[in-house]
Amino acid sequence: MRISDVVSDDASLIRRQAWSDPDVYALEKKGIFAKAWLFLAHESQIREPGDFVQAYMGETPIIVSRGPDQNVYANINSCTHRGLPVCRSDHGNTKSFVCPYHNWNYDVTGKLQAIPQERHVEGRPDKSQLGLKAVPRVESWNGMIFGCFDPEVESLDDYLGDMRFYLDAFFGRFPQGIEFYGAPQRWKINANWKLPVENQLGDVNHGPFLHAAVIPPEANAEVFELGLSAVPKPGHGATFRLMPEDAPVESVAWGFEGLATLLGGVEVQEYLREIQAQAAERVGPLRARMKGLTYGVYPNLSFLWSNTAFKVSHPRGPGQVEYWCWSVVPADAPDEFKKILRGNHTAFFGPGGILEQEDSEAWVQQFQGAKIENVDDRPFFYGLGLDEEKAHPDLPGLVSVTANEFYARHFFKRWRAALEEVES
Amino acid sequence: MSAEAAIAEAMPVTPELQHAVEQFYYREARLLDNRQYQTWLTLCSESIRYVMPARTNPLVDNAARGDEAMISVEHELEGVESEGTPIRNETYPYLMLRVERSFKPNAWAENPPARTRRIVGNVEISNVLEDRLSVTSVFHLFYSRPGSENFLYAGQRRDVLLREGDSYRILDRVIVMDVAEIALPTLGLFF
Repeated sequence: MRISDVVSDDASLIRRQAWSDPDVYALEKKGIFAKAWLFLAHESQIREPGDFVQAYMGETPIIVSRGPDQNVYANINSCTHRGLPVCRSDHGNTKSFVCPYHNWNYDVTGKLQAIPQERHVEGRPDKSQLGLKAVPRVESWNGMIFGCFDPEVESLDDYLGDMRFYLDAFFGRFPQGIEFYGAPQRWKINANWKLPVENQLGDVNHGPFLHAAVIPPEANAEVFELGLSAVPKPGHGATFRLMPEDAPVESVAWGFEGLATLLGGVEVQEYLREIQAQAAERVGPLRARMKGLTYGVYPNLSFLWSNTAFKVSHPRGPGQVEYWCWSVVPADAPDEFKKILRGNHTAFFGPGGILEQEDSEAWVQQFQGAKIENVDDRPFFYGLGLDEEKAHPDLPGLVSVTANEFYARHFFKRWRAALEEVES
Repeated sequence: MSAEAAIAEAMPVTPELQHAVEQFYYREARLLDNRQYQTWLTLCSESIRYVMPARTNPLVDNAARGDEAMISVEHELEGVESEGTPIRNETYPYLMLRVERSFKPNAWAENPPARTRRIVGNVEISNVLEDRLSVTSVFHLFYSRPGSENFLYAGQRRDVLLREGDSYRILDRVIVMDVAEIALPTLGLFF
């Protein structure tokens, strides 16, 4: 089986092995997780020298830290001596990382500082060559830290391209940008890593069906009437509603779609109205009318605007995801508002979310469907709206209605090219 | 009321009280395992606060070594007051929404419905103050969903119960889950 057999040329038909075959997953590790920019952390999580958080690049464990020089460092969490993790906590502040086995000691930038046993032998190993393995490229955009294992990769700015226009419609709305609030919620789902990704990349149209028990019909109607899907660059995607110019402020403002805001009192609502009132000044009149839904950044970062979470779908083999999600709040908001606004995320999403329980079940079931044998002549159909996407006068990239599955076709065309490059 | 006055008015935990609270929890467990969520909701105060803190692996504080505080459970929790995000932080309207969802055929994650069976034990009444009781209990919950493997949930509940006549209502519930890695289908159940 060749990758060109898995994804048809126009990516409207994709064989089920794309989500279930261990050989395909082995190619993804080489062609995607070793080559693409991968999201690591937000700078608000590591403000002070010595602050660190754990992250993953694919299945590789990473420590992301703030050095004494204020720079951000990303190193593989594995001792150079015998490979044990040198950091066993999710987050914290430290002067050093120490391996439990023989106490090799590394500073927060990953440099090897001490080998306790070396005083009992004559030779002195060259510590400058024995530091933690650094992620070769680490760059930030708007506080979002990414890493890449390919030293030759294009700059993060170029990689994101016009996705920045859509991301900044959110970040730029707030006077001091956003911050990640607390540790990520992380849980395991027995599904392929691409399934949560596709869900957030552009598949907002499952809402009226899978979530009919919870999402009211009027919210779905707004998505059909005003919803747009944009692909600024293959593999990235943004879905949002472009609200009418005369729409009332709370029908456009971020934060009003969550129950936590509605139950949170007039002060937090007034704060959100004020943010929206300043939006045109901050992000321009067009983006001020954007009321986002879901976003995706290739390969595995997602952003849920309406319920405000960033998420990463970390693969654990072809059949399991370790899903991480962070609540996101405006950095300038008073602490009591942050504590209200975080609830817009968790009540509906995350491991205890009322909506997410349907999503994760759908991904588990789709993965089961992707493993069924004797159905090779029934590849999954991704052809809705084929070739109907067009350039837009004001919005970058290709744009179409949300029912058009072009976001996934573009993702899988890029995916196919990336895997063909490493296929032997 | 001053702290001393509160202690002075604290009531003793009698065998009758212990029995009544255990009976309340057994009834609650039966209602939940029988999927009688609407009836279960009547056991909740309309002022209920229903919280499941997130549980992380923070850095061990070297300065606390030798002290029980060093590895305290509390240190791992991101609850309501933390600058973090609890897994659940709900009030009565959220529980109503969850109950409503349970009785819709298009709540697909529970169609067909999951089977559950829970054991509630270690019921410890720590404080009795006028009409309020602070009670901790623990649970093991067996969860089985068609077409899937079976799961075991374990955790502790920290309740404040409100005495109403012969029975109680749940005024406050904090659920501390004992899984280090959440490899469970959902934490959106009623615990």
